[in-house]
Formats: sequence, structure tokens, C-alpha cells
Amino acid sequence: MSAILRVSDLRKSYSGIHALDGVSFDVEGGSITGLIGPNGSGKSTAIDCISGFQKLDGGTVTLGGTDITSRPAHLIARAGLMRTFQTVRVYDRLSLADNLAIAAQQFDPAGWIDEFLRTRRYRQAVESSEQRARQLVELIGLQRYYEAETGILSYGQKKLVALAAALMPHPKIVVLDEPVAGVNPSRIREIEVALQQLNRAGETFLIVEHNVEFITTLCHQVIVLEQGRKLTEGTAAEIHTDPRVLEAYLGITPEMAAAEVRGAA
Amino acid sequence: MKLAAALLAALAFAALPVLTSSNYVVGVGISALIFTAAAAALNLVYGFTGLLSFAQLGFWGIGGYTAALTVVSLGGSFWTGLLAAALLNAVIAVLVGYPMLRTNRHAFVISTLTFALLVTLIARDWVSLTRGPLGIPDLPAPQAFGLLFDTPRKFYWIAWIFSVAAIAFLFALCSSRIGRTLVAIKQNEPLVRAQGISPMPYKLTAFALSAAITGAAGGVYCFNLRIIDPSFLDFYYMQTFLIIVIIGGAGSFWGVIASGIALSALPEVLRFSDDFRMIIYGVILVIAMFVMPSGVAGLLRERRVARMREALR
Repeated sequence: MSAILRVSDLRKSYSGIHALDGVSFDVEGGSITGLIGPNGSGKSTAIDCISGFQKLDGGTVTLGGTDITSRPAHLIARAGLMRTFQTVRVYDRLSLADNLAIAAQQFDPAGWIDEFLRTRRYRQAVESSEQRARQLVELIGLQRYYEAETGILSYGQKKLVALAAALMPHPKIVVLDEPVAGVNPSRIREIEVALQQLNRAGETFLIVEHNVEFITTLCHQVIVLEQGRKLTEGTAAEIHTDPRVLEAYLGITPEMAAAEVRGAA
Repeated sequence: MKLAAALLAALAFAALPVLTSSNYVVGVGISALIFTAAAAALNLVYGFTGLLSFAQLGFWGIGGYTAALTVVSLGGSFWTGLLAAALLNAVIAVLVGYPMLRTNRHAFVISTLTFALLVTLIARDWVSLTRGPLGIPDLPAPQAFGLLFDTPRKFYWIAWIFSVAAIAFLFALCSSRIGRTLVAIKQNEPLVRAQGISPMPYKLTAFALSAAITGAAGGVYCFNLRIIDPSFLDFYYMQTFLIIVIIGGAGSFWGVIASGIALSALPEVLRFSDDFRMIIYGVILVIAMFVMPSGVAGLLRERRVARMREALR
């Protein structure tokens, strides 16, 4: 395995406050990597900067060997980094099918002339996009909603749609911003299974999440941020027992943390 | 289904001059056709892309003046005038649209309004170009294939062909992937960017095409009036287009077409009280906004979604 996403020395400050103060980490291709930290530790800022939604003050981001630092968001997406958002974003007034089709549309070679003339290239693009969409919809278990407007779906279901949309163009890496925040606990397990299945099929994920149990079950590697710096990094098991992490992230002792995790589950 | 209905409606409209002997009714029909095309163009930017553009009034005026001046000052034909109106508007829309579209949505609304007011000023005060408040009277009747379209009854065909062509073009655009992308931009711009799509070229294209069609519509309309003067930039026209779009349902293609035809008759019906026309208009708009905030099409859509929700429960 080699690093598909390499982030080094990210710096970002808002009016003198260092949201990111030299953060570096790698995401291995084919892995599920977690990014955790207490509120205000810089997780969201980090992925906004990586995905081009905020401007970096310093540092570099490379994706599959290509430098994508400070490119506009749409070009970073085209380079193969797809992301979801903390507050779920889908096109509420479009069908699930259209939601997924749009997500892949920029990545096929068919332009508007192809569409107008209904060329072979256009038909093939539409066909392969639909095939991918049906596959993903089956994976997230929303087949019966395929033609329905996504506005009628529940919050948790929309999170699944956002996940499927991010996967549509076969990206190099998918960055998930709190994929299970606000999701019904019974559905969290479904998302977990779906992510594991996708990962086995070769997808790479970087996940920002508050739910410790979710992260420790899923992730091969976990990066912990605190106050804009990387506190530590290791396997889920290592992180789970690291007293520094427990103190920074939960502000409590290991025994209390164990009880907390049981409580959350 | 909808397409078949639209085709039938277009054919029925083509038969209007044959069915009535009243020039007045034919005149209303001409206005209905042209206003509907202009409203459909506004629907492209406002309804589909989510950009409330008051610049339409400016494009309408520029189109009218360009067509008139091409014929009167440059000796071109009516058809070259229309083409010039469309092209000039598209170019202006790209030039002013680029900086406008980089601002946020509220600033965009204000700057388009300012643009419309600026065009009004030019029409009135740049006398050497526009002939000022007196305007350009006695516009010649259009000609084609040796025919002179010099009566409302004949001119009706020009309006019909123009509208049907403009609406067909807009329909093809709105139902394509470009149209779908415009809807996506309106609904969730950050998500569009996260999916590798740059919103600016789409918005600019929509704005420019809408400007071109509105300008050509203005060109046709001033040759219907046979005169153009600064009153061609009366806010009344903008208001008409906007009411058609709002009542039809912004973002609903056929809803706006249907309401365009229906509401174009309204100002004629209201003509009995020229002084109160605007006030009555305003009242109708306010009531419509209360009863159906997303237009007739929005009302129907909400019912459909409710049924779907029920069915999937």
C-alpha cells in the first residue's frame, strides 16, 4: 500500500487563531482512515482545505502524486477526491436517479453536442452511469426510492444518498464528513456494513466522525487532532487506549471512556 | 404526454387568426405569444438556475432598440435586426453577467435592477443614438418571401413562429443535462462544486441565452407596435414576465408556458381601468403568493410528492 492522499504541514488561521497549525498525515490507498478530535480541533477545517472549499495559508496536498494544493473545489473533485458534507447535501427536488447521474456527469467524455446528437459516446456514458447508480442504490438499500425525489427521504437515508453520489465517478478517495452524525442508531450499522463492503471492493475512505465506536470498528488507521495539531496517530486499538487521546478527546480516564462507549452503543 | 399537449396547443394557437375576425383578439394573441417566450426565458435564469434577474427588462429594451435601429439606421431587414438583437444581448449578458454572477444572490438582484435602470436612462437620454423621448416611429412592416406582414393578422404568424421556436429551444435546453445541472446549481451549489462541476459557465450560459431570447422577443414586439420609445422599458413589462413565472411556478417549464398564455390576456382584461391596472396586478400577485407560494405547478407538485410519500410509507 502507498499513500494516495498526502497532506503535509497544513496551516490555516482565522484572525490570529490557528485552526490548523502544521498538520501532516497520509491516507493509504485502499484503507479506511479516521480523523478524530474534540470540537474545534480543526477536523472540519482540514477537510474543507483539502477539498478546496477553504483556502489554505500554507502546506501541500497531493492526491495520487499530483499536487492539488489550493485548486478550486471542482478541479479537486475532478482530480478524484469526492467529499460529503456534515449537514447532508443532496438535491432534494431531483430524483435519486438524477442525484446520482449528476454526480458522475462531469467525469464522462460526453459533452452537450454528444447529447444533442445522441451519439454513441453519450448513450454509453448514460448507460454505464445508470449501471453504477443501480449497483450503489442496491448497496445502500434504497432501490424502491430510485425514481423518487430525495426530498421525501429521512435524514439518514439522505446521508446514504450522499455517500452513493460521492462514489459514482469511481473516485480515488472519498472524504466523509461525519457520515453518521444525526443518524438513527439502527441505521449506523447499515452504513458501517456498506462502507466495509465498499472498502473490500477497493474504495479508499477518509472519515471525520465524532462517534468513537463507529471509528474504532471501521478504521485501519486513526489520526487524532487537537487544537490544530496532530496529537497522535495509530491503529484503532492503539488510539482507543492512548491516555493522551482519552484526555484530549473525552476529557476523562480510560475507565470512564469505556463506560461512555458502552453508553453510546 | 405534456409534449403532445404542447404541440396541440401550439397548433390551436396557430389557428387563432382563422377562428376570429377580431383584430383586437389577434393583437392580444400576439402579445401573449411574445410575453410567454420572454417569460420562458426569465424562467430559465430565475426558475431553473435560481437567479432573480431584473436585467431582462434591459435586454428587452436593448433588443427592441437594436432591431429598430438595424432597420431604420443601418438599412437592414427585420430578420437581421432580430439576429443583431439576440447576438448583441448575448455579448452584453456575458460581459455584465460575469462580474454580476461572482457576487452573492442578493447583490446579483440589485445589480441586474441597476442594469435595467441604466438601459432606461440610455434610451431616454442618449438622444443621438436612440432619438430620446420621441422614439423611433413608423417602423416598416417585416417582409419575407415577397410577403409583407403589414396587418396584425399577418404579423401574428411571425410572433407564432418566433415563440414556438424560442419555447422549443428552451425546452430542449431545460430537459437536457445542462437543464438538470442548472436545477442542481439552484438547489445546492456547494454540492455541485464537490461533484466536479464549475457553476459559473452554466450560469453565464443560462444568463446569455435568456438575454438573447428576451432581446429577440423585444425586437419582435416593437415591430408589432411599429414604434419604439423609452416607454418600451416601462417596468410593466418586467412585472408581467415575473408574474407569469411566479404564478406559473418558477422552475416548471410548462407551468410557466400555460400561465404566460393565460395571464397575457389579463392586462387586456384590466385595461378598462388604466389607472388601477398596476394596483390590481399587485393585489393579484400578493394573493397568488399567499395561496400558492410556488405557483400553480408548485401546488400540483406538492400534491404529487404527498401522494408519493403516502405510497412509499
